[in-house]
Order: sequence, then structure tokens, then C-alpha cells
Amino acid sequence: MSHDHHGHTHEHHHEDVDGSWRDTADDRPLSVARRRFLAGLGAAGVATTVGALPAHAHDDRPPRPVNPWHGRSRWYAGDHHIHTKYSSDGQYEVAQQVAKAREHGLDWVVITDHGGVAHEKLSIDQVAPDIERARREHRDVLVYQGLEWNIPGAEHATVFLPPGRSTVDILRAFEAAYDGGVLSTPVAQGGAGLLSRSTSADGEPYALAALRYLEAQVLSGRAEIALMFANHPARRGVDSPHEIRGWRDAAPGVAVGMEGAPGHQAAGIRKEAGGRGGARGYYDGSPNQDSFPGYAPTATENPYRTYGGFDWMTAKVGGLWDSLLAEGRPWWVTATSDAHQVHLDTHAPGSGDHNATGSRGKPVDTGKPQVYGDYWPGFYSSTLVGSDSRSYVDVMRGMQGGRVVAVHGRVVDGLNLRVRSLGEGDDRGVTIGGRTFVRRGDSVEVSIEVDLARGANFGGSVPRLAKVDLIAGPVTGPAADRDALAAPLTKVVKTFEVARTARGTVRFTHTFRNVDTAFYLRLRGSDGNRLTSDGGPVMDVIGDADPWSDLWFYANPVFVDVV
Amino acid sequence: MTWLDAVPALPGGHGAAHRDALLLAALDSCAAADLVFTRVDRTGPVAVTAVSAHVTAPFDPVAVSAALGGPVTVTDSPALDRCVRFPGQSALTGTHPAAEVVASSAIDRVVGVGVPVSPADRVETLGFLRPVHRDGELVLLVEPAVGGVLRPIESEDPHECCGGAH
Repeated sequence: MSHDHHGHTHEHHHEDVDGSWRDTADDRPLSVARRRFLAGLGAAGVATTVGALPAHAHDDRPPRPVNPWHGRSRWYAGDHHIHTKYSSDGQYEVAQQVAKAREHGLDWVVITDHGGVAHEKLSIDQVAPDIERARREHRDVLVYQGLEWNIPGAEHATVFLPPGRSTVDILRAFEAAYDGGVLSTPVAQGGAGLLSRSTSADGEPYALAALRYLEAQVLSGRAEIALMFANHPARRGVDSPHEIRGWRDAAPGVAVGMEGAPGHQAAGIRKEAGGRGGARGYYDGSPNQDSFPGYAPTATENPYRTYGGFDWMTAKVGGLWDSLLAEGRPWWVTATSDAHQVHLDTHAPGSGDHNATGSRGKPVDTGKPQVYGDYWPGFYSSTLVGSDSRSYVDVMRGMQGGRVVAVHGRVVDGLNLRVRSLGEGDDRGVTIGGRTFVRRGDSVEVSIEVDLARGANFGGSVPRLAKVDLIAGPVTGPAADRDALAAPLTKVVKTFEVARTARGTVRFTHTFRNVDTAFYLRLRGSDGNRLTSDGGPVMDVIGDADPWSDLWFYANPVFVDVV
Repeated sequence: MTWLDAVPALPGGHGAAHRDALLLAALDSCAAADLVFTRVDRTGPVAVTAVSAHVTAPFDPVAVSAALGGPVTVTDSPALDRCVRFPGQSALTGTHPAAEVVASSAIDRVVGVGVPVSPADRVETLGFLRPVHRDGELVLLVEPAVGGVLRPIESEDPHECCGGAH
């Protein structure tokens, strides 16, 4: 950066650092090295980026909007949960998954094979060169190396980093020290033998240490950014509310969200229709000894099922996700494929011994369509990320900052949300994942532009968005009960019908008047095919869940502070 | 007769149904139990599955303790939660009207998740019933399933990611 200084133009000796910090599109190793200089100073910056501190907490400074609105966002579609032959229950080559992701319109993917003893000892060194090759062969797809981490004491999670000199070393050290599978495997079988089970509660402190380790890699400059998303969070009920809060608070720049919708969306297709006849998302569980007792099936709900394809934590208005948002802290939702074995694909696993070699070997093409439960990356589930550029670090910053919309079956092509003060507050406003402010008593305007699908989805039809719900609730501060899982004041405040004849972009506005308390708002939308009497998603039926006739999108929230 | 209470140490790791089978086999080797409940004991650093069994004949606590691999106590106030054995269970292996489930077994009520259950509604048991004890009643929670039937919410072999390894 060059600027005028005391009447003459000169170059500051630190301008390269300054410039490359802003120019995160520049992922060249040199600029990464330069940015390390600043990375160690980045604690405050990280907090601001992800909105970890409420704007009104800066008592001595004017509030600063997060994710300021600037017209049309560019969305980058991707998938942070993809398996290969390096998972004991996967089968594909990295190259196959990346090619399929590209074919289905994705801009970025994360390769996330299961953590465990064999993966840590044998698979990492094989997957890393495969990923590098895939990057060279598909320069228009960002291919991140990640891990499906067995969170000690809990479920699985995506952990990933941008390419960098230390990426593989960090992932390897992380897995060896903190994977729940490694930690719970007896020493005689190559593990650490420190935990009773991967999901037992004695693992909880390890999960927090693991996330702090990743954050330390970023703060020390060894990695530019590192992210964690909890996967299929309600599937077995083992992600308790206090664990989720713990992860978020231990490493707010790293632990930033969860799958709003799990993968395996084909698993509920009826057998008569050629499907597997299982549960959508393979969500067919019930409480086990490591489940949180508050996640209890009752006459009114079953937390262990999906609702309109989305995880109960996300799908329930006023539920767990809202209870996190009502604290005023960020926690974002995504949608992924979890692709292990793709429905109607002809491949079967290779004959490799994963335990002995770290790989199932080259998949076998049977020539016959197989009945599986998953879709290819991008085929059904998309995580849309608003980013300044198509670069590894910027797309991750978009995710970290919550500029994310989770979409099924192309029910929308994009979303432009602007939330702004109509008074003397932040009148430029902010967009998805952002934080804005308004003077007490003033009004807040919500402007929504939805890009309807301009073509058919991969199910073969042009989806029709029937409605958009505006959901809002007060921000009530940190929960005294770390296991709180309800936000009873969060409601659908307005439903916008989309005309049957609507094409292109549809626009809606809503004004919150006389705002006197901090609040947040978020959007969801549906094709309207399967709705409860109050307009919510219906619990998916095991063995009878056609994913293409029940499409939803969920957008991440905007927080509004009152000053 | 009486209730025995134990914290068994049995090999696990293959899902609840597998643990149930091991538990019942161990119990049956040394006691006659007609009602068996499991519950999760979360008082220690790691949750454990405990058992309460209603025994109908005299038994040797030492033998039961040896079979279950954990201490056994006799109690008048058993902790009742998830029922893995109950009178009438063995006859309910197919698809039965809800009224028959209640009439022919110890189950007091069939309750639907999000749906009302009428006496004629068919319950597809798939040979696996794990009702739960709630407010003094043995309740079978069911949910709509393919084919217009109701199925118990707990299935015998839920999908296990990664082969159930973690």
C-alpha cells in the first residue's frame, strides 16, 4: 500500500505486511509468510471478524459493523464434508470426488476422512499428495485438506486449514493428540488408551484443548486460519449444549458452527422408488449412554430425526441453535453431502485393508447402479459462502464470518440480505453473519432479495420457492445454564409468500419499529411441499423421505445491537 | 419377589441392542427375571449403563455379580427407565394394532411422536421393543414409518458411521 505522507509519496517499510493482510486473495507462500508478522497480533482482529464480542461491549469505542453490506455478494458454493477411500467406510479417489464436485457446480471442497489410528498413521501421507494432484488438475476448485475429527466426548466435526507449509503437520499433530478415536483406542492397538469411549464425557477437556491448539496455530502465525464445524450434531445426541458452548468459547475463531443439515440425504428414499429405505441423513438413532439427557424423544418431537432434511438443532425455531444465537454470539450452520457412497453410482469399495494400509484401495466399478444413501458433493446440498475472492483464505474467512447460506436442491441460487438502521445508527447496514447497531427507539429495515433458481436442480426439476420466513428473537446475553437449549422468545415474525409466477429475483422488506433491545434475525425458506400447521418443517419419515420434494434453505443470522 | 440392581461390566461397543443381549444372557444364566430395565448412571466421570431386574425366584447374589461383572444390590425402589424385557414382549414381534400392544403386554400406552395414536393403528415392531417408564407407566414411543405404520423410535440396528468404531 502506498499513500501520501507529509506531502510526499513514499513506501512504508511495513507496507508489504499491511498490503498482504488486506490482499488475502494473494495466497502465495511469500505473502503468507509476510502475514505471519501480523498474525500474532490478531486476537482482537479475529474477535471482530467473527463478531465474538458484542459491539456494545466496546464501551470506549463507537460500535463497528461486522460484515458491512456492499451490494451484491458473490457466492461460492462448497461442501466441507467429503470422504474418500482413505476412510474405512468410504470408497472414492480424491480425484473422483473433486471432479464430481466440479461437475455439480462447487467452487470449494474439504476432504474429510475419518480420524483414527490407521488414518493418523497411514492415510494422511497418502491423501496429501492426492489432494495436491487434484488441485493441479482442477484449478477452478479449491480443495482443502481436512479431517473428520472424532471430537473427544462428542460427535464428529470437520476441521480444516488452507494450503500452507505446515498444514499437513498441523493436521497430523492434531489428530495424533486429540482425535477421540485415537484417544480411546487401547495402547496395544496403537491408540493412546486415555478415554473410555470416543464419545464418553471424560473426553470433553481434550476437545477444548484441541480447539485451543488450533487457535494457537493461527495466533502464532503457523496457519493463516483454521476452522471447525460440528457434523451431524443431533444424530446420536452426544453433542450436549454445554459442549457446543465450550467449543465456541474455547476457540471463537476456529469453532464457528455446525452442519445445519447433515449429509446422506438420499438415505430416506423409499425402497419401492429404488432407494435405501433408511432414515434421511441416517438419522435413525435413539439415546445412548453418552447422549445428553435433555435430548429426549417425547410426544411432540424426536431430536434424533431430521426435519425437512435439517438437523433438529437447526430446524426447531426457538431450539438449540436459537438458544446459542440469543446469547449474541455467532454460531453458523451449513449443509454438506457427507459423501461416502453415492446413490446409483456404480462403484463399490476396493479390496484394500484400511486398518493395515490406511486405504481401501482403488474402487471397483461394478457397472451396476448401487443403492446407497449419499449424493455427490454439490448434487443436493450446498453451503454458499460470501467471499471477496475465490481464494483459500478468503472463502474460509467468509465461513468464519458467517456469510453462509445452507441450501438444498437449488431451492435458491442466492440471497442478498441487508439489515440497517433507518435512524442515526448504522444506516449502511450489514449482511448475513453480520452485526449492526441502531439507536434506541429507532427502526431497523430488513431488505431481502432472493435469487430464485434459474434452472433445474440435479433432481431434474426447477425448484419453486414458496415462502421465506423471517425469524427473530431478543439477544439476552450469555446463558446462565450452559446446557440451555431453548430460546422461547424467538419466533417467526413474518412469512413472505413467493408468487407462483415469480421469476428471477424477488424482493421483500420488513421494518422492526421502535427497537429498544438487542436482537437477532435470520431467514429460512421452503418449497412449501411439507409444512407443519405453523409453517415449520415436518419430521422426516424413516423409509419414506424423498429429499427432492422437501427443499429448504437456512441463512445465518444478523445481530442488531442497541446503542 | 424382589428387585436387584447392578452396574454390569460387559463388553460393549456394538450398540444398545447388542449390550442388551449380553446383559439378558448373563442375567438368565443365574436368575429368573421377568422385568428388566436399563438406565444411564451419570454420577461418575464416565456414564455407565446400570440395570434393575425384577426377579421371580431366589437367586445367589454372588453368582449374579460374577455373571454381570459388577456389584449387585437388592432394592425395594428400583430405578426404572428403558425396559429391555417385560411380560408379553415375546408375542409382539410382528405388526400389531396399538390396542393389542397394550392389551397383551405390560406396555401401558402407545404414544406417537407428533401424531395421535388410535387403537387400530398398526405398530410394526420389527421384533424389537424398548418401552420407557414415564410417570408410573410403561410407554412405547412410536413414530410414522413407511407403509402407513407406526414404528418404535428405538431401532435394533441404527446406522453406524465408520462401522460404529467411534
